[in-house]
Amino acid sequence: MGLQHCLGLGLGLAAALAASAPLAARAEDTIKIGFPMPLSGPAAVYGVPVTKGAELAVQEINAKGGVLGRKLQLLPRDSKANADEAVRLARELIIKDNADFLSGTLTSAEAPAVSTIAKENKVVFIAPVAKTVKLTAPENLHPYIFRVASNTEIEGQAAAALVAKWTDVKKMGTIAPDYAYGRDAVAAFTAHLKKLRPDIEIIDQQWPKLGEPDFTAFISAQMGKKPDAVFCDVFGGDFISLAKQAGPLGYFKAINNHLIDGGEVGTVDAAVALGGDYPFGITSDAYDPVIWKGDEPAAHKEFIEHLKAYMKSDTGSGWAVQGYTAIVALAEGIKKAGSTDSDKVAAALLGMSFDTPVGKRTFDAKTHETEAGEFWGEMVKDPAYPFAIMKNPQYLDPTVATN
Amino acid sequence: MTASSLFGQFMGGLTAAMFLFLIASGLSLIFGVLRVLNFAHGSFYMLGAYMAWQVVRWVTATMPGHFWLAALGAALGVAILGGVIERLLFRYLYGREELYQLLFTYALVLILGDAAKYTWGTEQLSVSRPSILNGSFEVFGTIVPDYNLFIIVIGPLIALGVWTMLTRTGLGRMVRAAALDREMLDALGANVGWLYTGMFMLSAALAGLAGALVTPIQGIVPGMDVEIIVQAFIVVVIGGLGSFWGTFWGSMLYGQVLSFGILIFPGFSLFSVFALMAVILILRPWGLFGRPIR
Repeated sequence: MGLQHCLGLGLGLAAALAASAPLAARAEDTIKIGFPMPLSGPAAVYGVPVTKGAELAVQEINAKGGVLGRKLQLLPRDSKANADEAVRLARELIIKDNADFLSGTLTSAEAPAVSTIAKENKVVFIAPVAKTVKLTAPENLHPYIFRVASNTEIEGQAAAALVAKWTDVKKMGTIAPDYAYGRDAVAAFTAHLKKLRPDIEIIDQQWPKLGEPDFTAFISAQMGKKPDAVFCDVFGGDFISLAKQAGPLGYFKAINNHLIDGGEVGTVDAAVALGGDYPFGITSDAYDPVIWKGDEPAAHKEFIEHLKAYMKSDTGSGWAVQGYTAIVALAEGIKKAGSTDSDKVAAALLGMSFDTPVGKRTFDAKTHETEAGEFWGEMVKDPAYPFAIMKNPQYLDPTVATN
Repeated sequence: MTASSLFGQFMGGLTAAMFLFLIASGLSLIFGVLRVLNFAHGSFYMLGAYMAWQVVRWVTATMPGHFWLAALGAALGVAILGGVIERLLFRYLYGREELYQLLFTYALVLILGDAAKYTWGTEQLSVSRPSILNGSFEVFGTIVPDYNLFIIVIGPLIALGVWTMLTRTGLGRMVRAAALDREMLDALGANVGWLYTGMFMLSAALAGLAGALVTPIQGIVPGMDVEIIVQAFIVVVIGGLGSFWGTFWGSMLYGQVLSFGILIFPGFSLFSVFALMAVILILRPWGLFGRPIR
């Protein structure tokens, strides 16, 4: 590099620094939301769209003038799906970046860890994705933790309620990733199914590890036990591998497509990735079906249009709604409290209702949960799309499902 | 437990074994000849998968034979990348301590992983099976997909091909000589530098091919590089570092122990292979076919 170039670069840098100084001063007025989220590694498949959803919410709220006359500012940080890293980032966001609130985290390991930081620093934390029941279990509950995600209890119960309707099923198999999420969801499913259909027997349980690339041995072992139906909690990239290996082995055919997956493989993300290899006919769930035939709410239609434009994607993502919802909930809480003081906002969130693109949600004052259900439906071929779509997405309200 | 389900379990294990062999053979080859533990071998495998997807995108999936073109393109592409990496970076590692090699190749894992993420994004990608291998057939009441059979056949074929090259050709003799005494071969006037580059490219091509061939049965995701390298390491450790047939039988053992381990202890799917590795390392620390290091 020549000397002139170096000089030019240096001048440019200086100019940029000078320009950013007044910006930094103005940024003091923003309401800062720390957002540790896996943005690299395998979990980025979810972390990135969730962050996009949160960014979209911030953009929309700011376009309408912000909250209490102040703009929102999202501070996304890469947690690498690592609980220790998420904790370190959460501390740094509060202490160094003066974050007023926390949201973000993806896995069931990160969220409870960050929750302890929120408690320590008395900062409101809204978890958008993590499903583990331990996050809001009585011994871990504190005034500042809130969740807009569903939880494993709700997921397992919803799946059990749907399986209970399969009258010809007598023998059930399960296959789920071998960690907190999979174990908790299967436990919830089996407990609830026992109540609804005591005649159904669980005859086989497979526990592949999270990130398992080869399911062949698990699948053939399960097929050997000849179940009539399977509750599956394998999700994301793992589900793609499972579907591609199980299809040719005749797995889905052997159980007459009686497979129900609670790991959101009903999202458009999974459907697009698998294309024609999707095991059409299975039942799954999604926070947001994205492609919604039938009675699609107007708010959802508008949200998806904005999301597609923001993500520069033809199909959007079924995960973005979770990041979006967390930010909307927080903004509503701040508005209701009339303050950015975490104690006041935490009090305001209790029992507060707010609108999301997929319907109204309310924070239960006792559990700090929105008790969010998900959309469930059969995944079918549709001539209009080169991938599977959810037929008649049905919102399973947990308060109804449990009764 | 019926005979047919046992057979199904065996076929599953065999398919897994042959995939592992394709990957581990390249890893073992590099260690045997270049004496470098290439932790980035899994990254070549991952890049092979991404490149195959890319070729399918370019030629469109409707073109007949697109999959084979993709597999070839991936093997070639990764071989070229491997060659460049060897010429520019790797050659400075020869003869260094293992710790430096490990650190350097691990850095490569991170760099190549981020490069893949930058190029192809983080979403899960997938390639469909080639239409000619779309079917399946039934043996002993077990459904065996054509594609799995193809993998079971191609594994030993490649093993035989590489083994023939190493033992029956002049080039192979040079390679074996280089593994024994690099300086002497150099002094005799052989171009050892390019020989090493060639071997490195061959190893990368095997990894790239394996990555391309796995796309019809596995999702392409960031992180598949680290996932596979751990398994490949277990295989070469079981078989004996640098031993070609050791890698073959190590893969076979790994595949079957994994498959039947899942059948017998469904709650502990990872237990059986690690137990196998522990037992072998206690009884024969140099692996099944390896030689004790003096």
